[in-house]
Amino acid sequence: MDTLQVLLMGFISVVIVNNLVFTKFLGICPYLGVSGRIDMAFGMGCAVTFVVTLSGTLTWMIDNWILMPWGLEVTRYVCFILVIAGAVQLVEMYVRKFFPTLYDSFGIFLPLITTNCAILGLCLFINLWGVDNLLEAVVLSFGAGIGFTLAICIMAGIRENLNLSDVPECLKGAPITLITAGLLTLAFMGFAGMIR
Amino acid sequence: MVKSIKLFFEQSWLLITSAFVFGLLLSVTNAAWQPRIIQNEIDKFNRLAGAMLSEAKTFELAAEKVEIDMPKGKTTLLEIKKGLDADGNCVGWAFVCHGSGFADKIRLVLTLDAGFETIKGFGVLSSNETPGFGDKIKKDYFRSQFMGMPAAEITLSKTGDYKEIDSEIVAITGATVSSEAVVAIVNNFVGQVRGKLKEKGLIDNGK
Amino acid sequence: MANDKSNDVSLSRTFISGFWNENPVLRLLLGMCPTLAVTAAVKPALTMGLSVIFVLICSNIVVSLMRNLLKPHLRILMFTLAIATFVTIADLFLKAFLPEMSSTLGPYIPLIIVNCIIICRAEACASKNPIVVSIIDAVGMGGGFTITLCFLAGIRELFATGAVFEIQVLATPETGGWFVPWAAMGMPVGAFITLGLMLGLTNIISKKA
Repeated sequence: MDTLQVLLMGFISVVIVNNLVFTKFLGICPYLGVSGRIDMAFGMGCAVTFVVTLSGTLTWMIDNWILMPWGLEVTRYVCFILVIAGAVQLVEMYVRKFFPTLYDSFGIFLPLITTNCAILGLCLFINLWGVDNLLEAVVLSFGAGIGFTLAICIMAGIRENLNLSDVPECLKGAPITLITAGLLTLAFMGFAGMIR
Repeated sequence: MVKSIKLFFEQSWLLITSAFVFGLLLSVTNAAWQPRIIQNEIDKFNRLAGAMLSEAKTFELAAEKVEIDMPKGKTTLLEIKKGLDADGNCVGWAFVCHGSGFADKIRLVLTLDAGFETIKGFGVLSSNETPGFGDKIKKDYFRSQFMGMPAAEITLSKTGDYKEIDSEIVAITGATVSSEAVVAIVNNFVGQVRGKLKEKGLIDNGK
Repeated sequence: MANDKSNDVSLSRTFISGFWNENPVLRLLLGMCPTLAVTAAVKPALTMGLSVIFVLICSNIVVSLMRNLLKPHLRILMFTLAIATFVTIADLFLKAFLPEMSSTLGPYIPLIIVNCIIICRAEACASKNPIVVSIIDAVGMGGGFTITLCFLAGIRELFATGAVFEIQVLATPETGGWFVPWAAMGMPVGAFITLGLMLGLTNIISKKA
């Protein structure tokens, strides 16, 4: 029961309270780039969730079972980025081969994900938060992916409506998106400190 | 078979060589700078602890690491350090304690006097509290409340005088959670560390 | 001689384009994460900018040196390997010599690895051009990035604390002044909105010019 509670709290905290996009500024590039239409945004979110769960788990295992016991922390960043790049490649090949329909819907986003800061950022934050068991690492990684999906879908919904509104010429496109994102973070700040 | 091995090396020799070169580069820089990085950590601890225990000249490890219970059923290993003056007398205790704050982990250096009865103060080793609100735990007016207070259970109140030194801490306006976090960390560690030190016979059992 | 001169012109154009025409943050919208995350004050922003310049120059040199040997499908892997190595070096340097800054910036230094500016320059410039052009391009791009970062950080720090570069410019009520610190500017909200307005301003200026 206790473990379950810790996991649930951790999950909610990483989805809402410590949302990567709104509090840690991670994954801003796709957040601005792909949030034009809600179906694309959802596809991107799914792809990120998939990869982040996989690479978060893998990097946790590598970090705790190989790098730390052997004192190889200095190669941590190199290992992490290679794991992520590898995971993305594998996922892409696997999905293309076995789930062609799924690949059609979000496959094009997969190569972009390697340079998505949300993934590497999460792997580093898991290390920083001192997560000390595998299950927690899996749940937190998955939660981070869900949090990213949530953020990007909210944004896409707003932007679809924004197209119909009268935005000053100079603010069209990225600037108004950033300002909207700012107001969204303000809303999400209300959750801060809810779970410690 | 031979052909495929040849192809493999033809394609990847550059990658393999550069992996070796970069690995070498990394290990050299690491070997050169790692001692400095460790020294920086120790320096920072000594600086923070030394500011609170002004008589202490050096800090040395008091005993092997002790296990401290943390909230949510976790435990952590703690190094307790003894502050020594120029003649080698013990003038106080210092250790790094941590717990979750408003946004992220807060790490504090906590110092107590030689008899483990009065808190000498705390210094913030690392925190990531909200700028303008929570990060005021670093400010002197909040920290000074802890200086010289009895090392007993501390309570937090939202109003009161910052200058009064007693077992009650006045929270920072707009940052109750951060203030609570600091008080919780201090409460959690002081009692347990005192117990461990008594067990080892390093401080008086009588009181 | 004439050839030399045109070469010089194109070099200086490469250099300057990073500052305005192809400013990575304001025009290309690259490397937004660090731009938003480390600009609460000028000092960390400057440190971040300099680290990015260092990594950018090193990775551009390496990529430019081996541009003829690169296999297309292993290209990206090579880039990330080189970048990750130099970022680790920069991270170790900061930890060893500027521990305060290193703890302020925290995980945003390793996140330089996935900063799109660096991989984008490696791909678009260094893998096609000789070493001198690559270095100049790196300095120009990195310089443009740093200046933008510092400018944004200056605005935010001024409003959030009344200070710039930790020097008090506007006196706060605590010291008897009138300026009440605007804490929201130091938080994520301030970052997003300030950058949004800066982009808007850039659009206006570039349209007039």
